[in-house]
Amino acid sequence: MNENERFEKILEKVQKAPRYTGGEMNTAVKEWDDCPLHFGFCFPDTYEVGMSHLGLKILYGLINREEWSLCERFFMPWTDMIALMKEENLPLLSTESRHPMHEFDVIGFTLQYEMSYTNILAMLDMGGIPLEGKDRGESDPIVVAGGPCAFNPEPLADFIDAFMIGDGEDVMTELNRVILERKQKGLSRKECLRKLANLEGVYVPSFYDVEYDASGIITGIHPNTPGVPETIRKRVVTDLNQTYYPEEIPVPYTEVVFDRIMLEIMRGCTRGCRFCQAGMLYRPVRERSLEKLIDLSEKLVASTGYEEISLSSLSSGDYTCLPELIRELMRRMKDKRVSISLPSLRIDSVLKESLEETQQVKKTSLTFAPEAGTQRMRDVINKGVTESDLLEKVRDAFEGGWSSVKLYFMDGLPTETDEDLDGIADLARKVVEEYFRVPRERRAKGLRVTVSASTFVPKPFTPFQWAAQDTIPEIIRKQDHLKKVLNIKGVNFNWHEPYVSFLEACVSRGDRRIGRVLLTAYRLGCILDGWTETFRFDTWMEAFKACGLDPAFYANRERGRDEILPWDHIDSGITKQFLWHEKEKSEQAVTTKDCRKGCNGCGLQRWKGVCGYANPRSV
Amino acid sequence: MRILAVFEKSERIRHIGHLDIQRSMQRGLRRSGLPVAYSNGFNPHILITFASALSTGACGQREIMDVTMAEPTDAEVFLAKMNRAMPPELHLKEARAVDDRHPALMGSLRAASYDLMVYDSQEAALLNSAIPLMMDQPSIPAMRKTKTALKECDIKPLIYSLSGEGQHIRAMLALTEKEACKPGMLMEALAGAAGLKEPVRFLTTRTGLFGENTEGNLAPLELL
Repeated sequence: MNENERFEKILEKVQKAPRYTGGEMNTAVKEWDDCPLHFGFCFPDTYEVGMSHLGLKILYGLINREEWSLCERFFMPWTDMIALMKEENLPLLSTESRHPMHEFDVIGFTLQYEMSYTNILAMLDMGGIPLEGKDRGESDPIVVAGGPCAFNPEPLADFIDAFMIGDGEDVMTELNRVILERKQKGLSRKECLRKLANLEGVYVPSFYDVEYDASGIITGIHPNTPGVPETIRKRVVTDLNQTYYPEEIPVPYTEVVFDRIMLEIMRGCTRGCRFCQAGMLYRPVRERSLEKLIDLSEKLVASTGYEEISLSSLSSGDYTCLPELIRELMRRMKDKRVSISLPSLRIDSVLKESLEETQQVKKTSLTFAPEAGTQRMRDVINKGVTESDLLEKVRDAFEGGWSSVKLYFMDGLPTETDEDLDGIADLARKVVEEYFRVPRERRAKGLRVTVSASTFVPKPFTPFQWAAQDTIPEIIRKQDHLKKVLNIKGVNFNWHEPYVSFLEACVSRGDRRIGRVLLTAYRLGCILDGWTETFRFDTWMEAFKACGLDPAFYANRERGRDEILPWDHIDSGITKQFLWHEKEKSEQAVTTKDCRKGCNGCGLQRWKGVCGYANPRSV
Repeated sequence: MRILAVFEKSERIRHIGHLDIQRSMQRGLRRSGLPVAYSNGFNPHILITFASALSTGACGQREIMDVTMAEPTDAEVFLAKMNRAMPPELHLKEARAVDDRHPALMGSLRAASYDLMVYDSQEAALLNSAIPLMMDQPSIPAMRKTKTALKECDIKPLIYSLSGEGQHIRAMLALTEKEACKPGMLMEALAGAAGLKEPVRFLTTRTGLFGENTEGNLAPLELL
């Protein structure tokens, strides 16, 4: 039996075979031999998760649009598939043409979540590619990565040849051109990497050395190769209207997590919530024009047949012409029976009027993210929302016919006390009261208030990047406390085990030495760590031990102001000085205003013309 | 008016289940821009029915769907627009406009024809030679899966024709709302007759759906 026949054979035995079979609407039908450059886009998690990801759809369209490059997808197989592939000695194959990974010229991973890192190793391994960059030869593909977690590339420095930092749209094509040159002119791997290192926003970790002191604290990060930059400045696309956005996106046969059109209305956020890494990394805020969005949504509806459009951004409620946009989309989509949803609804921004319009087509549950239970705590994290804001919006929602509300909170925030946790229960109780305040005949039946609490994970490039995470026993104590106080009729409480959050804290602020832990954990059998059924915390701890590293050094240690952080050579646009200032303000529960109300001097003003709200005097 | 359309479910997507095929067709109809009719009610959906659900894992050469249109639509226009809107894996082959009073497909369905491709040619030869042997028996016991249990039944009256050639076994099997002989039941019985101990690996392709014409003979459902 040939490779394809053996693959077909195992498909008969595997659960959810459609994950692996491809052939979806709008997936590339380019001929392998027609394109000189083959890009393997790897999503290091399952098909259902990967096919819900907007970045995949943007880059997939962007690479396939160029006549000289072809992009095919790879996903992380589930454990049953991995076992069957091993049995048949089959390599990881692309979803489209079923070419093995090692036949591609570039392998690109998107880094959305630290807990997917062992999947990267597993995919490379199954793809027949040496796991470590230093072991790759002239015939091996160049392995690249991008996405939000690339801002701290160090834990993956041993495995990824080049990182793309920041917005991917422009740098993607530039990077592919260099790799095409490698192929056509026969550039050596090293020469190719050196050329890549000279592209703005590209970081080649093997050209940098890191030194540590005896306690494991970094004493220096320096280039070891002439001609590479001291710091790597992230890429920013300045005008979203001029930036590529797909007009056709793949439509899976089976239901995936987000099975709808995602319309990115803007990028970035001006709120400055201090816990939020995306809010810092994706600065500055850039909006797509109303005309462009209407045009895109009509094209996407026509090319996909989807029944739903969700307006996507970090803070859709802040989009300047949101009511106009929603009204116009409603008007045009009503006859096409397409509903509009606003996923990250901020409680202080969306107009009542818009809410009523959303419901005209379809009613879903409303999500609010107060993040913390007391005003003091919300001031610490700079979540500029008050209790009365929240209750007013909830009242509007209940009066508008909603009966299902989700409230998102975090536990373990810096300076948090039990009083702040009790505040979460108070808020939930007040939401329930608002429901019963609406006369019975006017409110929808079946009140459901879902309170979700996730454990705070300090992230690089946020004012909390120096902070210690609560220890596991302390998190468990706080969660038990929440379970007790949230035993309220009509309220459901969801929480997560603290172990994943602890590990996430270790990896997200990890240095290069964490790479050894990743490799060891993978060798010991850790994969699919983002899934409860496959996560093996004890094995991870074993890996730390085997590498002689203490996870608490990464998760539970407070860093000093002058400590060199593993990502200090990456310039996210935000200065360390600004972040430290924000950290100090947070300790006094002093808020910082929204950038739209005036420049706060985050550092982006150093880059001329990048941020529309920047004041050059605030340098 | 309604359109009866014959489509193919390709080998590549044979593991896609019936509900997902239904949804894919609905999205295809939405992409086509054709004037399809929607149901009334809170969550309107496209008025589309399928003559028969095709099992997960099976390919279909001539599957049939029935789409209610909101405006009169030419069958050729329907075919052309749909094929622009569908992936090659779900290609439409024919379309025919029918009156609203045309009987529902599901009720007229009597049988389906199958091509069962046996992967192992030695097994195929054994199965082929067992066909006359099995068909000579007064009854052919087989196990039918119900929702809760396995039930023994006689599939002989449900097999309308059966032949084998090379790796392919071709069969016409009863398929109505009340009773059906699934390809798996047939192959299990045939493997038993051939003295094979291990389950046979084969690829199922449903090649056509049949109803009864005025003379009482089986005829392609889409033409009735």
